[in-house]
Amino acid sequence: MPVVSLQHTSIHLQEMNAGAPETILMVHGMFTNLSIYYFNIAPVLAQRFHVVLYDLKGHGMSGRSSQGYDLQTMSDELLELMDKLGLDTVHLAGYSYGGLIALKAAMRFPGRINKLAIIESPNPYEQETMRIADIYSKELLVHFINDHAGDTAVRPGKRQLQRRHRMYEQLLKESSIRQDMQQERDFFSSPQLAGIPHETLLIYGNASDCMFAGQQLHQKISRSQLILVNGDHNIPVQEPFPIAYALKDFFGT
Amino acid sequence: MDQLTQPTQLSEEAILEVLKQFITEVIGQEFVEDLDITPQSSFTKDLEMDSIEIVAFSEKVKAHFGKDIDFTGWLSNMDLDEIINLNLGDITKYIQSCL
Repeated sequence: MPVVSLQHTSIHLQEMNAGAPETILMVHGMFTNLSIYYFNIAPVLAQRFHVVLYDLKGHGMSGRSSQGYDLQTMSDELLELMDKLGLDTVHLAGYSYGGLIALKAAMRFPGRINKLAIIESPNPYEQETMRIADIYSKELLVHFINDHAGDTAVRPGKRQLQRRHRMYEQLLKESSIRQDMQQERDFFSSPQLAGIPHETLLIYGNASDCMFAGQQLHQKISRSQLILVNGDHNIPVQEPFPIAYALKDFFGT
Repeated sequence: MDQLTQPTQLSEEAILEVLKQFITEVIGQEFVEDLDITPQSSFTKDLEMDSIEIVAFSEKVKAHFGKDIDFTGWLSNMDLDEIINLNLGDITKYIQSCL
């Protein structure tokens, strides 16, 4: 399992097509992990690009951390990871909160990023939308329980359920993640956001609560284009291939 | 003397044994002891593996069987539902077809 040690944490990553001249670095959202890209979206991009996926700290197989989930720290760690991997410049893609990390990185280190793609990132001011992650997490748990409701045999340990539950407990109760996300509520009002110079692709679900945030970003970022795909906030799972080919076209031209 | 397969070609049983070892490494010996791992075992329903564990499993398959197996490429043609419903027999057959 490839793991890179950073100053304050350890990061699990996966690479595809290493050696290709251009690199796409992909950032997942809160309460998920790199697998959201790994199976469908990344292999399509790897037909042409070097693709690097990593688990944010506290997620997937990266190290646990009780603090530092704000955009400043998360974008610091993104840059530190790039330095460790010897990546001078990358195309950067982020989903949900990972898209906010990507935007923050573009604002702070514009020279290190070529093109930018943002998928379903919410406006942090709308805390209701930010809570989608929580609601979605609960749905996952409910779905899991229902899925097994018909089984008469007791499943040994319900290991998967326990794993997920443990992650939510760690992140939501034992870390500063909620406060760190809340402190970002004025992020869309930041003047630097409107100054992002990069060519930017915004991909949103046409039935998503976050779609208005996509429109706001489209208005603020001068060199942006907004495309809609069928689905809600969960479009990387619902429509991976339209997203993969949109990204491939965008980064490849 | 009646060997029909080439000496280098692994049987489905041998491949399955390797895959079982990978599953043990990914989810841990203590959980595997409670499971009956067969070719019909699916990742999520039977083995209770989640998607990041399937990533770790895929990585081991690629590292072990080499670059002749485009395991990720094979998976990438499936949607996530198909991937989580895959069973070990499907994977064994795919690997054998590549060797």
